[in-house]
Formats: sequence, C-alpha cells, structure tokens
Amino acid sequence: MQNEKNLKFKIIVSLISIFLFLPLVAKTAILYFEPNKGEYRLGDTFIVDLRIDTERECINTVKAIVSFPKEILEAKDFSTGNSILTLWLQNPKINQKEGVISFIGGIPGGFCGPLPGEPGKPNLLGRIIFKVRETDVKLEYKTDAKLEFLDGCQVLLNDGFGTQAKLTTKGAVFTILPEKTEVPKEEWQEELTKDNIPPEPFEIKISQDPSIFGGKYFIVFSTTDKQTGIDHYEVKEGKRNWKRAESPYLLEDQSLKSKILVKAVDKAGNERIAEYVPPQKPFLWWIIIPILVGAGTGYWFYKKSKIKYQKSK
Amino acid sequence: MQWKKGKFLFITSLLFAILVVIFYFFSNKSVLANSQGKITIKVKISVCGNNVKEGGEQCDGSDLGGASCQSLGYSGGTLRCRPDCTFDTSGCYTAPFSGGGGGVYVLPPTETKVVLQGKAYPLAKITILKDGEVAQIVNADNNANFKTEIKNISPGVWNFSLWAEDSKGRRSIIISFSVTILEGKITTISNIFIPPTIELEKTKVAKGEALNIYGQTAPESQISIHVESPEEIIKTTKAKKTGDWDYSLDTSPLEEGMHTTRAKAESPEGLKSAFSSVLSFYVGKYKVEEICPKADFNKDGRTNLIDFSILLYWWGKYNPCVDMNHDGIVNLPDFSILLYYWTG
Repeated sequence: MQNEKNLKFKIIVSLISIFLFLPLVAKTAILYFEPNKGEYRLGDTFIVDLRIDTERECINTVKAIVSFPKEILEAKDFSTGNSILTLWLQNPKINQKEGVISFIGGIPGGFCGPLPGEPGKPNLLGRIIFKVRETDVKLEYKTDAKLEFLDGCQVLLNDGFGTQAKLTTKGAVFTILPEKTEVPKEEWQEELTKDNIPPEPFEIKISQDPSIFGGKYFIVFSTTDKQTGIDHYEVKEGKRNWKRAESPYLLEDQSLKSKILVKAVDKAGNERIAEYVPPQKPFLWWIIIPILVGAGTGYWFYKKSKIKYQKSK
Repeated sequence: MQWKKGKFLFITSLLFAILVVIFYFFSNKSVLANSQGKITIKVKISVCGNNVKEGGEQCDGSDLGGASCQSLGYSGGTLRCRPDCTFDTSGCYTAPFSGGGGGVYVLPPTETKVVLQGKAYPLAKITILKDGEVAQIVNADNNANFKTEIKNISPGVWNFSLWAEDSKGRRSIIISFSVTILEGKITTISNIFIPPTIELEKTKVAKGEALNIYGQTAPESQISIHVESPEEIIKTTKAKKTGDWDYSLDTSPLEEGMHTTRAKAESPEGLKSAFSSVLSFYVGKYKVEEICPKADFNKDGRTNLIDFSILLYWWGKYNPCVDMNHDGIVNLPDFSILLYYWTG
C-alpha cells in the first residue's frame, strides 16, 4: 500500500517535472525544404525553397550545404530573389559533379522570425531550380530523390559574439517516375517569363584602405532583386568594355578620371545600371583671371612709365 | 483495486491536460502578461488593403468595422474606405437627398507603401535602412515618438533596419525586421521600440569601485541592466522625463577579468525593446584594447559594405583588426559580429 502510494507520487512528480522542464529545453533553429515531397517525371523542372525557422531566436548568418542526387537531378540554378539574406559572403555555388550546393549569407541587424500580422512567409533563404535528368539516367522504377543538409551547416546568433545557434535540419524526398509527359513541368521558366522588373536601384561607393588591395582605389556595390534574384554584376570603366565583376572590385583606372558604371542583371535578364561620375576639377578661373589682370595691369604701368621716361629724356 | 488504479490514472491525465493547456496558452501570444500583471506589446504588422480592419485602421476595403454614414452622424449615404484605411465620407449626406442618377466612384490608384512607427528617444535621429542600405533619416519628437513612410517600394520581402542616435551622439544597436510587402497595399510596422543607448563611464575599474552605466531611452521607461559575471546580474532603474538613465554598479561581487553589460527598456505604455549594444569592461586586470571596435575596420564611423569588403579580403587569414573574436582567423563569427554592428 505504501509502495503503491510512493509510486503514484513519483509518477505525478515526474510528469510535472517533465512539463516544467519543457520550456527550458533550448530552442533550435530549423533549416528545411519546401515542398519537402512531391512527384516528378523525366524532364520536369521544379523549384524547392530553402527556409529557416528561428524559433524566435535572432540570427544573422546562415551557412548551408545541401546535397542532392546528381545522377537523377540537375541543379540548374539558385535564386536569391526575396531571400531574407541580403549580404552574401559566399554566393550560392552549385557543384553538379559532387551533387552539392552551398552558400553563406547574412542579414544586417538579424532576423528574429516573422512579426505578428505578417501576411507572407519571410523566412526564405533561397530557391533551388532542379531538372529531372532524362538522357543520362535510365530509370526503370519509381525512385526517391533525397535532398539533405550536410554537416557543416551553421546558423549564428545576432548577439555580437558570433555564437552558433543550436541547429536542426529536415530533408526532402521527391518521387521520380520513370516516364515523360508530353509537356514537362517548367516552374522556373514561368517565373522568368513573368519577371520584367529590373533589380532595385543601388549606389556605387568608392573607397581606399591600406589594409586592402595595397591601398588602391576599389568600388563596392550590392543590390537585391525581388523577383527572380540577382544573376551577376558587370563593371565598365570609361571606354573599356563591360566585364563581369564582383564586389569589392579593384579599379583599373586608379586616377579616378573615368566614369564608372555597374550593371546588376537578374535571372530573367532585366538590368539596372548605377553610375559614378568623377567630380570635375573646376578650371581655376578664379586664379587665372586675377593673374592675367594683374599681369596686364602691371605691363600697362610699365609701358606708361617707359614712355614717360623717354619723353622726359 | 482496479477502481483505485483507474481513479489514479484519471487524475494524472487531467492534471497533465491542464498543464498542456496552460503551457500553450501562454507560449504563442503577441500580447503577454508579465509577472507584474502589466500588458507588454510587441512589434506587429497590419496591412491596409487586405479587407480586414486591424488595430490602428478605421476600416479596410470592404470591412468598415460595422460603421456607416449614420453611425458617423450623417443622415444617410454610402460610407467607403480610402486606400489609406480611413473613412471616406464623401458619399454621406446630411440634407434630404435631392439629386438624381447615380455616380461613379473611382478608387484612386493605390500605391505600395510601408509605414514605420514607434519610439526611440526624445529628438533622436533615426536611420532607416532597406536591405542594408540607408533609405531615410527621420527625427523622433519630444516624447520619443516617430512615424515615417517609405514609398516607391517594390512588392516582395524586404529587410527594414533601424538605429538611433541620441542627443549626446551615442548610437543604438541596429534592429531589423524581414517583412513581406504586398503590391498596392500599405503595410504598417508598429510598436517599434529602439533599444536604449548605453555608455560606460570607464572600461577599467578596481574591484569594489562603482562603475557608472548610462544612456538614453524613451521618457520614464523602466531600464533593466544585465551584467554577465559570468552569472547574470540584473539591476533596474527608471529613465527621467528627458529619457536619460543612469546606474551606479557596485563591482564588488564581480570576479577580476572581463565582463559585459547591456540594457533593455520597457516604456510606460508597455512597449518592450530588444537589448542594447553589449559593452565590455575590466575589473582589476589589464584591458585589451579593441583595435577596431564595432567592426568599423576603415574607421569611417560606419559599419557597412566597405567594412564587409575588408572582411572578404582577409577571409581565412589573420588580421588583428578584422578578427573580431580574436580566435586567430577571420571567419564566420567575425562576419556575424560585423552584421550585428551594421549601420549602413
């Protein structure tokens, strides 16, 4: 009887303890895919979003490494349009040979999750555009194509110390059917066709610092595109040709006399150009005119006095 | 015996269910009651143009909140809602209606706009960034309130950041929100409360010596000062009507070595701020000089794209200025610290 009472007491206390302990379990950031499942056929192009749930922690840096089955899927592109990451330490890189996609991006000031009343889902990190391979692979049966976040993924807190957040990741599994449809899905092409808006306006900043590029002049630039995302930048100095570039960009013309143009191009080919016109040194009329007037006056007095002298002789 | 076991299981399950309800009721609300029974208010978004009348709006699209011309004191007519979610009483009348025919009411085109409002410090200069770049600089009023609009903005997900400079030239930490902006709608981000500024009288004190910590916030706000010792010590004080606050910290309980401190504020209306910048100080031992405080690597008074470029240049190498966490290499934590101190 006493043992039974003790047991009951222990069970109740355990339940209450577990329950009180639950809120103290550290929150973790969660990296996940959306959609995380689906059915596709050979030749289909589909989009998978990478998202983050910060569980109300404030984070500012995401390093992600994603693996995908390279024999079944081709990673055609990565879109940063509408990503909450606005500064890219490492631009999204697709390594088709290894079946890996990686990037490192940041949010100045951090991201603490969506606000109450938020009408959308502002937790997008990027979008991967996959195409089901149809020529290299001979599928006979339904096959699973798995996407996973690899070890090495990191999320850092916006705490001023660069502390790593506890991180959980959730993969995705897509079913690939060994058949083709007459008209394959082209989810990405539809997005590209709809996008006729250029990237957001931006400025070019010129700077110089002894700790970088040996103290030579360089420019920095960055912008975002709210539709299909930025594809690349190009720079044109003076009469030189356009050339693909990344920020920071070491100027070829260190005299700073050339007009500098930077072009941001999005995935759909829309362009936005920013311009830097070097300040023109003013022609120093305010020095030359007084000198001319002074010299002219001086010469006139000299001539007058010479004539006067000659007359007196 | 069976009956007793059943009774025990029933009571246990009931207790568990009650605890579940209590836990979930208090975990996911935007308005919470704290231990003093006071309601605290968090930053929220309301979208004008979603046909749902939300806090701060008189109406929204077809949702007039039950109002009509008559309820507003008119004799009759048709009450509408303007694109800025205020009542449009142009269709209301007070005299007996004698006109014939109908009319066409054309809604003016709606613009995509963002409204940001909240509190900082009296007459603070507030810098607002859009995706990391400066978009606007506005001033708070004498009561520390501010409200501003950002127009000509494309629909999409935007990151809005704010930081403030107080009357003594001290800067706050930056706070950010990632928000979906819908086309043709006015999105209002309200209840923003910029964290207080914080400053230390000195950064090296003898053990037991008082350390003055001060700054500015909204008038008469409650300030809580957190000191890592490494256990957390929390002290409270109240800001004056001018918004100035100060606290004299007794360093006797602190071990020798480096400590950090930060503060947060709660306004008289219940707005709660995030933490201020984190400041370090030394008790007893020597102080390690910060070569490049606040990740301002080029010492131009800003932490922005140029400093980011300097970090990129030194990535994976050693540079005592750029290596903010002093682990011997410029790496990911240094990038995170740069983002924390971003000013645009």
